[in-house]
Amino acid sequence: MRNKNGKMICPRCAEEMNHHGDKLVYNDMAGAGPMDRTMSEHIEEFHTCPQCGAGASCAHLRSPSSI
Amino acid sequence: MEANRSLFIPVILGTVRIGRMSRHAARIVASELGKYAGVETELIDIAKLPLPTNDAGEAIKQPEFSAAMSRADALVVVSPEYNHGYPGLLKHVLDSCLKEYIHKAVGIVGVSAGPFGGARVIANLLPVMRELGLVTIFWDVNFCHVHKLFAADGKLLDEAYIPRIAKFLQELIWMAKTLRHGREQIALN
Repeated sequence: MRNKNGKMICPRCAEEMNHHGDKLVYNDMAGAGPMDRTMSEHIEEFHTCPQCGAGASCAHLRSPSSI
Repeated sequence: MEANRSLFIPVILGTVRIGRMSRHAARIVASELGKYAGVETELIDIAKLPLPTNDAGEAIKQPEFSAAMSRADALVVVSPEYNHGYPGLLKHVLDSCLKEYIHKAVGIVGVSAGPFGGARVIANLLPVMRELGLVTIFWDVNFCHVHKLFAADGKLLDEAYIPRIAKFLQELIWMAKTLRHGREQIALN
């Protein structure tokens, strides 16, 4: 879940998370959200909570071809 | 930030073979790691993970292993060298996670019957670790001539390994702290 500033919210403690990494993922993943269907790839974002250390990931909202 | 949170650094025993000598190496590394203040560890034996072998990748994610990897700040992977490579089942287990590993430190312990102490399996694991999003340290532990290195009860017979393990663990703990700070505090953009 993201807040109004587009930041991921920690699923454990509701703190705003830090986006520290992206990875190009080539296979369809359940719940990945918008992705380039033709290429069957998307960018996965990785976030970590500065309060409790929990990690979370979500699909990037842009198509990989836009990078 | 919760500055007092302990680091969690599990040790993965990466072989399922009967009679595996790597279990002794994994136990001594886990034992030494457990002596550091502010560090929690556990030995994860891949032989005890109920992963199927009729599928692969994240489709076979095992909840307990996934949770341990999510909680981890760093990993120690103990791998024997089989025909210059890593055990297939170690790769099978590692491939069951991805997001759990991103920007976390990993140190590799090589084990072999010969004089090189798994140097080749360590080299072969490096690109795998990179693709999984793990960050390798530049200090390894090489258990050479492993059949002569441990007594039948698992006792280490060459005490010279203890300071080598300490150097490896100190580097790994530094990297774990650094990467935790980066994951939690330094934004990508």
